[in-house]
Amino acid sequence: VKRTKASPAAAPLRPLHVPEATRVSLSNGLGLVLVRRAQLPLVTARVMARSGSVTEPAGKSGLADFTGRLLRRGAAGESGEALSEQIDRLGASLGGSASEDALGISVGGRARHFDKLIDLLGKVVLRPDFPDSEVELARRRLLAQLKNDLDEPGTLAEKAFTRSVYGGHPYGREVVGTMATLSAFKRGELAEFHQRMLGPKVSELYVVGDIDPDAAARRLEAVFGRWSGGPSAPVDVPTFAALGKPGEVVIVDKPEQTQVQMRIGAYGLPRGQPDHFATALVSSALGGGFTSRLVTEVRVKRGLSYGVSGHFEWMKYGGAFVVSSFTRTEEINTLIDVSLGEVEKMRAKGPTAKELASSQRYLSGLYPSRVETNDGLANAMSEVSLYGLPSDWIQRFRDRVMAVTLDEAKQAARAHLPAAEPSARTIVLVGNAAELQKRVAKYGKVSVIKPADLE
Amino acid sequence: MAKKAKPTPYIVPEELRALEKSVIEARLPNGLRIRLLPNNGVPTASYYTFFNVGSRNERPGITGISHLFEHMMFNGAKKYGPGEFDAALESNGGSSNAYTSTDLTVYYEDFMAEALPLVVDLEADRMRSLSVTPKLLTSERQVVLEERRLRVDNEIGGLLDEELGSLVWKAHPYRWPVIGWQKDIEAITREDCLAYFRTYYAPNNAIVYVSGDFDPKEALALIKKQYGGIKPGPAAPTVLDAEPKQKGERRAMVRHPAQAPSLLVAWRGPNAAHEDTLVLDVLQYALAVGQSSRLVKSLVYEQEVAVAVSVDWTWRIDPGAFMVAMELKPGADPKVAEAALYKELEKVVAEGLSDAELEKTFNNLAVHNVRELATNSGRAHSLGTAETMLGSWRAGLTIASRWEAVKSADVQRAAKLYLAPEARNVVTLEPMPEAQA
Repeated sequence: VKRTKASPAAAPLRPLHVPEATRVSLSNGLGLVLVRRAQLPLVTARVMARSGSVTEPAGKSGLADFTGRLLRRGAAGESGEALSEQIDRLGASLGGSASEDALGISVGGRARHFDKLIDLLGKVVLRPDFPDSEVELARRRLLAQLKNDLDEPGTLAEKAFTRSVYGGHPYGREVVGTMATLSAFKRGELAEFHQRMLGPKVSELYVVGDIDPDAAARRLEAVFGRWSGGPSAPVDVPTFAALGKPGEVVIVDKPEQTQVQMRIGAYGLPRGQPDHFATALVSSALGGGFTSRLVTEVRVKRGLSYGVSGHFEWMKYGGAFVVSSFTRTEEINTLIDVSLGEVEKMRAKGPTAKELASSQRYLSGLYPSRVETNDGLANAMSEVSLYGLPSDWIQRFRDRVMAVTLDEAKQAARAHLPAAEPSARTIVLVGNAAELQKRVAKYGKVSVIKPADLE
Repeated sequence: MAKKAKPTPYIVPEELRALEKSVIEARLPNGLRIRLLPNNGVPTASYYTFFNVGSRNERPGITGISHLFEHMMFNGAKKYGPGEFDAALESNGGSSNAYTSTDLTVYYEDFMAEALPLVVDLEADRMRSLSVTPKLLTSERQVVLEERRLRVDNEIGGLLDEELGSLVWKAHPYRWPVIGWQKDIEAITREDCLAYFRTYYAPNNAIVYVSGDFDPKEALALIKKQYGGIKPGPAAPTVLDAEPKQKGERRAMVRHPAQAPSLLVAWRGPNAAHEDTLVLDVLQYALAVGQSSRLVKSLVYEQEVAVAVSVDWTWRIDPGAFMVAMELKPGADPKVAEAALYKELEKVVAEGLSDAELEKTFNNLAVHNVRELATNSGRAHSLGTAETMLGSWRAGLTIASRWEAVKSADVQRAAKLYLAPEARNVVTLEPMPEAQA
């Protein structure tokens, strides 16, 4: 065996100092997590509620996100305009929005305005009014934006992908909703969702910045201690079990396109499984960095596209694997064939020792910047709790990345990348259907839809 | 109208003094400027190289060469051949990227702190000895054409921007898109690239910023060692701003399949180093940053003539554009939105901004400025941008005090001077049924 110099992965990493968190539990069940980080006189506070789009009643897609966005448009008897005036006056930012698994409401600004920022956050989280005029205005605006989204090929690809991959599971709903569901929300449904689904027992509040944790906790107790309502425990959501449209090819027809957006989707896994880090490394070697196999084969060697990635979407109740790229219409077969070929090669044999070592160093090197800002650290901490990850997840992330062995990586590749059979994948294309239809018939049953079918 | 000199000295706020004191400056005999910003908050570092070249240094026939060249910088040099730049960097815990603007080409790496010696070696290698092979140029050209299809030809915002550029500028190179015209991208030769490299990628046309967890003495020694032998280039040719004064409103129409019409309106403003640039910063924020800002409040929330409105005022070396973009509802009449916009601007000219609006604007500008300084990458980028655009990195730290010196009357004067009706440039998107495309 030819021995080259020791792998760079062998060198120990410089320590990552994550500032210590103070944890307090309020009598109403709300958990507070406070971190003092005083490099700049800024602060971020984030409420993470387990009230994401998966908790919406069937047929009500968009309700969680719409509720989140409307919180600041009228609360505690003050108008949306009056609240905006106060927020902007402080140079602060405040807003709520949903993802599949959570609804987050964040405020950020100067640390010396901490009390005012928390009062504002408290008003919009605890006592939103959802005035009819604001709800109607936001609805009109969002309907127009959803319509305008139909002009964006990338957005269309994502929407079609969500449906093709997740099918009838709640993850198959649009987080922002559809024109049909948004049009149908009745007066009072936002207030009801807020009252029923958001509450201290399914939420935590993260504060990171130039604060005194004890004083901050007292303030938060005064404001959030009287928060009530919401479920007593996170609602049950079924596990995502099977691909929505296995073996199918969906073409979203946009005849004017000279470029095709492509997504190949497959069944994946939830965040934080025992082989999470091995899977992350396989994904990085396949389609993460600029030296990944997909970027090398698609962009560097063939000039097929400006961008290509292969990655896992990891959520709480399941996930997906996706290859995402685009190319000129006449090259679509090359793009699909090369992508499928690289996925299969990686699935069958896993990464090489060299690729694994490189990916380990790559992921370890980039990780600290994810927790460099107050927002970043608050987000990372809230994810640890939301996904039930080990409490030392952030601190030991890089160690766990470095500890993965080649066998573990190969096993993860075999276990989690899609097999070569068409039924293990689903394909979405956005482009000129007349040009594409025949070219892609060999990949599976083709259906053509219009952008308006995704509105 | 002449502006009175401001006696107030520019102040670095208390919260940024530590950063100011930490900056170490050096200049090599070959002209390379170096700025070190040590900080051990996280065990990483960022390395920025700012080259004073962008699409403003191009000419018809080779438009887009700055950006195409940016891509070629990743395709191999003498020591690290094709593919080896990223292979070495990523396997040592780093990632790289770059962007090209009208004025600058900026390369950056974010990496595990231990990789600094490698990063210095990689960057010095490609500044010293980039190779441009015909094969890689051919392949990279395809990548760039695909990027153009993505960002311009198949993206409505890109189509409108491109139209607006050639409306606002008649003579200045800002009139063509940074990514270049398609036929030019197809025609650029290897010789064009090599000449471009010799002219603009010399150490005397660059500034290096290093920010993060490293020993500044060691870093400086390393940079001196690796870059010291690179020969300086001739001074880059000056770019003549031959732009004539605009003598009346200019309009253009783009017809494209779309759900709704949309609108871009722009006026030529001052150059970045001009003191009115900061007045327009204030106006930009007062108009469109925050839900209580004037245009958002009035056009989106009160009158509902737009779904979204934003203002872009990007600093440029030569006079840039103050641009308002409006997303409209399907079926909306763009004339109504346009008239509502002008009415709001007239109000600014007639009445200026209230004290409360000024306070709001100053706070938002200051917080956004400080927030960018929270990361290694942000510190290098923010101070580097200040140095290349405003003349010194320190200007990036004192800028809040300069914004705060702006008075309502300054905003009125600037709005009247720059945003005049006869100096408008308007691009309207007229939706076209898909069948006609």
